Amino acid sequence: MSRQETSVALPGQLQPPMMNGEVVFEAPWQGRVFGMAVALHEAGCFEWEEFQASLIAAVGAWDAASSEPYAYYVHFERALQELLQAKGMVGDGELNRRSGEFSERSHGHDHPVRS
Amino acid sequence: MNGVHDLGGRHGFGAIDYDTSEEVFHDRWEAVVFAITNRALASGVAKNVDHFRHSVERIDPVSYLSDTYYGRWLGGVETLLVEAGVLRSEDITQRAVERGADREARVAARPSGHTWQDDTPRSQSAARPGVVTAKFSVGDMVTTCNLNPSGHTRLPSYARGACGCVVAEHGAWVLPDANAHGRGEQPETLYTIAFEGSELWGDTTEPCVSVRLDLFESYLESRYLEAK
Amino acid sequence: MTDFQPAIRAEALESLLIEKGLLDPAAVDRVIEQFNDRTGPMNGARVVARAWTDADFKERLLHEGSLAVEEYAFEGGQIDKLVVVANTGLVHNLVVCTLCSCYPWALLGLPPKWYKDPSYRARSVREPRAVLQEFGVALAASTDVRVWDSSAEIRYMVLPQQPPEWVGLEQADLAHRITRDSMIGVGLLSA
Repeated sequence: MSRQETSVALPGQLQPPMMNGEVVFEAPWQGRVFGMAVALHEAGCFEWEEFQASLIAAVGAWDAASSEPYAYYVHFERALQELLQAKGMVGDGELNRRSGEFSERSHGHDHPVRS
Repeated sequence: MNGVHDLGGRHGFGAIDYDTSEEVFHDRWEAVVFAITNRALASGVAKNVDHFRHSVERIDPVSYLSDTYYGRWLGGVETLLVEAGVLRSEDITQRAVERGADREARVAARPSGHTWQDDTPRSQSAARPGVVTAKFSVGDMVTTCNLNPSGHTRLPSYARGACGCVVAEHGAWVLPDANAHGRGEQPETLYTIAFEGSELWGDTTEPCVSVRLDLFESYLESRYLEAK
Repeated sequence: MTDFQPAIRAEALESLLIEKGLLDPAAVDRVIEQFNDRTGPMNGARVVARAWTDADFKERLLHEGSLAVEEYAFEGGQIDKLVVVANTGLVHNLVVCTLCSCYPWALLGLPPKWYKDPSYRARSVREPRAVLQEFGVALAASTDVRVWDSSAEIRYMVLPQQPPEWVGLEQADLAHRITRDSMIGVGLLSA
């Protein structure tokens, strides 16, 4: 196992919410977003420094323009989305369309991505 | 729809891929970390498991996200050893450098204090209490319709055309079939129906097995309906 | 873009990444299991520990699960209606969602990978005893095996039997001993 190099000091707000030494998810989607980010990083799609920068930007954008309360995984999801868009992996247009399709589905039930 | 998702009772699947989640070390250093951590707990450097877990929580986010499970333990136990005065951060760094590490490389043990809140709004419940009157009661025998709908339904194919007993009645709920296809909510009473294994699987059923499903009223007919 | 709920966006994002061959959903499952294995089921474990030590709570829990756990104000994956089913010497309960992978999220955290796999979903309703054997659970032929297929919005959790050796232990101690598998119904608890 190698450790990455960084001299960036991260504000406490960027830490994932945790309890008892484990990351805490308040809803299934948060786990999926977190898992996606880690899996994509492990697959070599981005370095953590890039993700951190995107997360800092997302929190900054929220801070400057939003009246919504701070919600870690909303920012985390936004950061991931922006990073993937910047890397040409997933575009905003197709994400909008797919989100639209999914929001038309029947109520409730835990919709799995695979089936 | 008889989609690929409707898996209940289908043949052709093998053993469950169940990981017994034993502590497995993929590398020697992981076993060393495990041993150090246990020693820290035994000696009181870590007051208890929660104290140790909290130390893991306090490592910096980059390490937390990029290190493996035992990497995070290492970050936590380093923090505790330094806080207990057993070692100094500089000594750990120095020893690592002597063994070939880059002095500028990240060290995991960097406590960060934070508070957080998540006010994700709750999604709307699908229950619609008091909207309709239940047709069936607990104890009634019912038969499920032999639906083969082209659209969305929550009646699994394995339970179609089967006879069972109402064991619970849950009031009215949004009907997914209608709601999925833009026909509005059309709430219906939801029941739990118990089916004997033999009813569903015939002779091949295991002994003393019953399957309980939550089914909407429109999926059900009274058992005592005259045959057409 | 900002009008869609984060849950929808997250699912849309994952589905696109999978379609493009950029993401393996099993890898996501592995990360989640690695990061959220013990804390996840603790809510359920606390409820079970309380039911074992508080007869009035147990009765309320089995009668109306959602109401009984309301005071805990569990966050995470809202459960519209919770039904808790008790294992006894005569009855063994097993929970599945054959149509997808519904799970009592707020109590047990994220479901284990095998719970969502086709093998468990297909076989648990047809041959639950064989499936239980694979998990190391052997039941008497006369035990009533009840499989609960979560086909609507009701979520099920099993109240496992308390091992006799654990009677008299404190709730907090009990909670740490209760396994996720026992609350799904694929595991028994023993001293």
